[in-house]
Amino acid sequence: MSLLIHDLRKTFGRVVALDGLSFEVPAGQIFGFLGANGAGKTTTMRIALGVLAADAGTIEWDGTDTRRLPRATWGYLPEERGLYPRMVVLDQLVFFASLHGIPRDIARRDALAWLARFRVTDLAGRKAEELSKGNQQKIQLISAILHNPPVLLMDEPFTGLDPVNVALLRETFLELTDDGRTLIFSTHQMETVEAMCESIAIVDHGRVVVGGPLREVKRTSGRRIVRLSVDGDHRLAWLAGVPGARILRPGIDRTEIEIDDGVEPGAVLAAAVGAGARITHFEVAEPSLEQIFIDNVGRPPGDEPSPVISAGEDAA
Amino acid sequence: MSPVEPIAPEAPGGSGGAAPPGARGRGDAPTRREPLFPNTGHVARREYGELVRSRLFHVSTVTLAVLAIIVALLPIAIRSLERGSTTRISVVGDTAQLAKDTQGVLTQILNTQGGTVYSVDIGESEAAALTAIEDHRLDALVVADRTANGSLHFAVHSGETVGDQTIQLLNFGTLSVALLDFATRNPISGFRVPTFDVFRGGGGGGVAAPYDPSAYASRLIVGAVFGVLIFITIVIYGMWVAAGVVAEKSSRVMELLVSAASPRQLVIGKALGIGLAGATQYALVLGPAIVTLLLEDRIATAILGPSAGIAPSLKALSPTLLLAFGVYYTLGFALYSLIYAAAGSLVSRPEDLQIIALPLSLLAIVGYIQAILALTGGITGFIRFASLVPFWSPFVMLTRLSVGRVEPYELVVSIALLLVTIAIVGIVAIRIYAAGVLLYGQRPGLRAYVAAARRG
Repeated sequence: MSLLIHDLRKTFGRVVALDGLSFEVPAGQIFGFLGANGAGKTTTMRIALGVLAADAGTIEWDGTDTRRLPRATWGYLPEERGLYPRMVVLDQLVFFASLHGIPRDIARRDALAWLARFRVTDLAGRKAEELSKGNQQKIQLISAILHNPPVLLMDEPFTGLDPVNVALLRETFLELTDDGRTLIFSTHQMETVEAMCESIAIVDHGRVVVGGPLREVKRTSGRRIVRLSVDGDHRLAWLAGVPGARILRPGIDRTEIEIDDGVEPGAVLAAAVGAGARITHFEVAEPSLEQIFIDNVGRPPGDEPSPVISAGEDAA
Repeated sequence: MSPVEPIAPEAPGGSGGAAPPGARGRGDAPTRREPLFPNTGHVARREYGELVRSRLFHVSTVTLAVLAIIVALLPIAIRSLERGSTTRISVVGDTAQLAKDTQGVLTQILNTQGGTVYSVDIGESEAAALTAIEDHRLDALVVADRTANGSLHFAVHSGETVGDQTIQLLNFGTLSVALLDFATRNPISGFRVPTFDVFRGGGGGGVAAPYDPSAYASRLIVGAVFGVLIFITIVIYGMWVAAGVVAEKSSRVMELLVSAASPRQLVIGKALGIGLAGATQYALVLGPAIVTLLLEDRIATAILGPSAGIAPSLKALSPTLLLAFGVYYTLGFALYSLIYAAAGSLVSRPEDLQIIALPLSLLAIVGYIQAILALTGGITGFIRFASLVPFWSPFVMLTRLSVGRVEPYELVVSIALLLVTIAIVGIVAIRIYAAGVLLYGQRPGLRAYVAAARRG
């Protein structure tokens, strides 16, 4: 059982949003769907939901075209958060669950249970416009999961949450996968992906540039990394004496050093000791997901790419 | 949390066949089967509940109810204001005795009602009196003749200052003159009911017609009230639909909605909920007004005295007309709410609503103007045609039903055309809505609507 996206194509006028996008999400996993703004993530999610129609290609869940599946297959947390501003929170939750076929009394009971789970029981009788952004986000997340969908699509679910609530959300995600649900989320927070996701796909200009199990992606990245902390010295001038080693990501506390094939990590350690550096941390590591992202997309996750204009169409 | 339940795909043979990988074209695209209910009901319930609980609804309902009661009391207020004013009437008879009798009886009868004072004199000649009416020196002329068979004939030439109440009194007065005439002459042939013709609007000219002033006035009132009501409510409730769609877009709740329900369920549910809220407001506004009208006579007696009779305004309000009003309101609102929903879907911000408000209102205004013309200027060939045009028939046909005569086949054709148009407009509107609700930051133009309808 998996979510299979096959050769998905979509253009908006002259702009190519999806250009043969293909990847597979194993069922029951947390999947990181990564890409810069405008890479095609939201368009893919909307096509899966049936809100948009693709020009070509298919999305299948458990072997069935998603256009045949009921909307309740999906729990959706859109990037642009939105609730009815003047509607009472509990009424909103019951309303959206009832659209997905949940009887009102059961929806009410489960909504109250979820509000308690997120420690916001007191919000049940309040209007959405009276809530903080973080609390609105919690309500919207509850709305996405209240009807027990097998697949959850979440666009930037951690944005706007404080660290306490990020931890709460992570815990909830793990519980949901324990229940057998499949979670797909997009984010610019690479450290969250590294902590939560078993598999990822990085998209750029509407196509997957790298994807698969996270460990595999890192292992095949072609980079060898040494992380080093030296007390009182973050410039590491002595590294110039190690051929095939260079600073990849400088830092006051910790510096990432990339070494070429054939260069032993021990050579870096030996050079540091030789220079009299007081080493507090030394680690042979995999490259960070952020670095892999930059390597494949050419810019950091938050940057917006220029749109791809399809050939042969009139500018008017 | 409950474990994951497997979700069964829609049964094969539903609305589409199995598509080969890569073939996601529109023509052979499989679609999920999504019946209108229960989701349309859920959306309608939400719309209804939120609207009738809103302050806007409370304020507008109270305001309209008060206005409706004021309108219902207007005839009494006018009578009250008219108290003390003088209406000048001349009588011209083919004999001096007939003129004198008519003057005497009319003076007595007209002045028993309270309110307006009537001054009735004997005119020199018909021509002079008609000139006086045109010059506004005289309000009305009563010409009394005796026909060859001995019965009396009365012709009333009224100026624009004479209302239906006075015409009714004159009608009653001339009947009294005939009774007096019968009593004094005592002819063998028995009593003959006098003929009574009214020439409206000025001096000479005009065509005499059988005239029941009370009934006609009531039909005009009912026609005007229905015309105004159906126009105002369709435009106002239509704007509520558009504003609701825009609010859902601007608050970004739309993205959640379209992932949970189909555009068809959302559009029809919204129209249904707001339409029912409108019907609730109708009941709350018209209920007190109808009670006021039913008590009109008693209120008039209490304010103006025991002799102050007020013609019943609800005389023309038949169950058939009420049914027709219900049918045309429902169909008219359905048609316009679909258009308003589609138009609203292409607007992103509430302040941009004005862009669509005027052109959509104009469509209804054209129908409304024709309805008012039909009310005051008679039913012309074009008005007959307009009463069949779906975008106008809810206004024009209702007026025709109030004041004119409608053949049964015309009603059938008008309703059938409305139903067909609602179906066609519904398909196009839902396509526009489906494409429009996810468009942000674009000002709606004709091209945007056409492109959205084609994209679906």
